[in-house]
Amino acid sequence: MGENIFTDIYNKVMGFFRQTDAEETAKDTACNRLRVVLMQDRTNLNPQLLEKMRKELIELLSKYVEMDKEALELNFEQEGEQMALMLSIPVLRARPEEEIEKALAEEVKPEEDADESCEDAVVDENPEEDEAAEETESEEEIHEEDENKSEDNE
Amino acid sequence: MTGRVIVITSGKGGVGKTTTNANIGTALARQGKKVVMIDTDLGLRNLDLLLGLENRIVYTIVDVVEKRCKLKQALVKDKKNPNLCLLAAAQTKDKSAVTEEQLKEICEELKKDFDFILVDCPAGIEQGFQNAVAGASEAIVVTTPEMSAVRDADRIIGLLEAKEEIQSYKLLLNRVRPNLIKSKDMMSIDDVVELLSVDLIGIIPEDTGIISSTNKGEPIVNDDKSLAGRAYKNVAQRIMGNDVPLMDLEAETSVVAKFKKFLAGLVGKEKQ
Repeated sequence: MGENIFTDIYNKVMGFFRQTDAEETAKDTACNRLRVVLMQDRTNLNPQLLEKMRKELIELLSKYVEMDKEALELNFEQEGEQMALMLSIPVLRARPEEEIEKALAEEVKPEEDADESCEDAVVDENPEEDEAAEETESEEEIHEEDENKSEDNE
Repeated sequence: MTGRVIVITSGKGGVGKTTTNANIGTALARQGKKVVMIDTDLGLRNLDLLLGLENRIVYTIVDVVEKRCKLKQALVKDKKNPNLCLLAAAQTKDKSAVTEEQLKEICEELKKDFDFILVDCPAGIEQGFQNAVAGASEAIVVTTPEMSAVRDADRIIGLLEAKEEIQSYKLLLNRVRPNLIKSKDMMSIDDVVELLSVDLIGIIPEDTGIISSTNKGEPIVNDDKSLAGRAYKNVAQRIMGNDVPLMDLEAETSVVAKFKKFLAGLVGKEKQ
């Protein structure tokens, strides 16, 4: 009995001090906020572009699965030295095969058009950042092509 | 002799770049190394003040670049340590007065005569930063455990990564307050290292002694009792390639440690 009273009091006292721990501490808030901000800084992807990416992913994935569109989460996370794009999709049900095929067949033609217009829209909305993201790859390709050409000429 | 050129940079202003420069430079010189510090913060020079050399400056880096004097004439010797020199920034010119190429040339020239060339970088990520980094092959990024300083440090690290000449960069975490870390009001050392994913070269505790040392124009590494001074000396050791463990700041700043220091002080006085 005696021991129980002591442990009880101990737990209550510790619980009182721990109440502050249960809430997010100032340093946790700082870390969490910084994590998001640093990811945005590093990727050049602003919230608008992330939202656009989210919408396009929903559009794409909806062909194959039925999901809770509101609860789809898209975040950047640091995993060691690597940065990962984490996509969490609450799936309500997988679509049956016929339904998928039907959706795909329907979208063969409009999809191409839609894709092109999407790209145009992105460039219009945010020419700098979009180009910056793509530049590295496309530029390298161009350089390689140039080199090939010059070799051919020689 | 081929000296190492280390740029000390931060992105954000007021995190202790210049203080770090003055103290690491002095600590290295106290170890017998030949050190020259270059202040590249044209128009806003301060390194001369921290070293107490403001009245001895005759020529500045702009005079060297515009060939009004020879490089050696512009080097100001430290009051105490003949191993330590300063190449001061001009106070009346702006950042465009010296180009990247010119700074590279100056660094190359100084490499012949000095073990270490420490370049004090201005705040920001504009041309002043580009100039300061131009001649360097190593970098120390100074930050504090505060959100804005960490974010700016991340930007700087991104820019340094893109520079081919920079072979290594390390983080110096300044103005650490162990009591605030303990109460979880401040990000810990591990938090900052994880967020920035970069190696540490040292941690410097917040030390009110820095204020008086700056006022006196006397780097705090010359005060053997100062905790920040000791931390800076450790950084200098690590730069020289010696393996010195990080300070346990919580233990160093605990009541017990302070009491021991107090007792040691009393004993010291009795002996005198």
